[in-house]
Amino acid sequence: MSALIATNIHKAFGDHEVLKGVSLAVERGEVVTLIGASGSGKSTFLRCLNLLEMPQQGELAIGAHQFAFGKGVRAAGDAQLALLRRSVGMVFQHFNLFPHMSVLANVTEGPVQVKGMAQNEANELGRDLLAKVGLADKADAFPSRLSGGQKQRVAIARALAMKPEVMLFDEPTSALDPELVGEVLSVIRSLASEGMTMVLVTHEMAFAADVSTRVGFMNDGIMTEIGTPEETIRQPRSERLKSFLSRFHETH
Amino acid sequence: MYVWEFAALKPYWGLIWQGLLVTVFYTVITVAAGLLVGLIVGILRTTAPRWVSVPLRLYIEIFRCTPLLVQLVWMYYALPVLIGVDMSPAMACFIALSLYAGSFYAEIFRGGIEAVDIGQWEAGRAIGMRRGKIFRRIVLPQATQVMIPSFINQTIMQLKNTSLVSVVAVGDLLYQGSVITATSYKPLEVYTTIAVLYFVVLFPLTLVADRVELRMGAHR
Repeated sequence: MSALIATNIHKAFGDHEVLKGVSLAVERGEVVTLIGASGSGKSTFLRCLNLLEMPQQGELAIGAHQFAFGKGVRAAGDAQLALLRRSVGMVFQHFNLFPHMSVLANVTEGPVQVKGMAQNEANELGRDLLAKVGLADKADAFPSRLSGGQKQRVAIARALAMKPEVMLFDEPTSALDPELVGEVLSVIRSLASEGMTMVLVTHEMAFAADVSTRVGFMNDGIMTEIGTPEETIRQPRSERLKSFLSRFHETH
Repeated sequence: MYVWEFAALKPYWGLIWQGLLVTVFYTVITVAAGLLVGLIVGILRTTAPRWVSVPLRLYIEIFRCTPLLVQLVWMYYALPVLIGVDMSPAMACFIALSLYAGSFYAEIFRGGIEAVDIGQWEAGRAIGMRRGKIFRRIVLPQATQVMIPSFINQTIMQLKNTSLVSVVAVGDLLYQGSVITATSYKPLEVYTTIAVLYFVVLFPLTLVADRVELRMGAHR
């Protein structure tokens, strides 16, 4: 059963067409990684999946939530969007933790403010999730006291606190010092092994090959290849993907 | 060599005290009203469509770019003629001071709100929060931290600016000072005393401001 179906997504910023009709169906429990050069549209596509970016054309179905975009289609309102995003977690490149709240409060903000969960119940949930990402002892710290890797793990816990059906990761390790990448990837890996449905944008090719059920390659606003990691990364078909991968291996 | 005679002011302490109360009172109510105006205008300037935000910009610039003294006199003499309503000096002063403060506060609020990283809005949206809630719980608390120094600064100026109400004969500290000068012939003592009183009220405020700023910055 599909957890997420995006169909023919188009997005332009002014005259610049970033997505030229991208489709993707993700099965429950699948981990799909999107790779591609910067500017290929992979992050924009990811941001279209929880409608942080509004597609100009196309359709999106996640769980019971269905959206259509295009001329003459009424745009979804704030309330509808908020409802969708309850069931889609997102982790950002730059963490975007709330700096004025403690680590625990960051995690409980969603359950309490959006779902109306009681604070003590949320605190319990929050502590469990912090333990799960290995930060039980940081519950009362403020984000400014954490390393990048710790911040990103808090951000993951914050997204998980909403008990999402799908998790989106937008280059979760790109802003981290190299020695901190591992701790974040291992949290993502353990989520994958628990069967969490995920879509990732990453430059960690080895990790992608290892953790993904499918890897998609985006080039110039189009998903040109998608298949198992074996197919996409080890046996690239198009010249574009071959040269992307070889350039990638040279620099990493 | 001038011989200071502060003792000569003794009979007038009641008046001075009264004037000080009026000054503080005007500061408190016009800061409160100005904050309300500033918060609303500041928010609308960042979020509302152009047909709302452009007129608000006009309001802000008119009040920021004309002297407060002119605004006070205009509110008292010109506005009543234009709208055909009699206005007491006290009312005219309240309106002018509040709108004046509001125009500056609005810019402080706007600056503070815009200084909050866009990623904070996105993080709020990503966990399913709606606009109003993100603004109240995520953006405004952070904007406030950025705003505090400018806010205190503006409030200190506001207290000093209330001295201009004396031109339309509202009995603030400065007005009482000029009355007392006229009868006591002791301008040096009177104005020195008044300056000291302004200082005594405002200086502790700056100390409080420093502490608040320090405390609120603790999490950064």
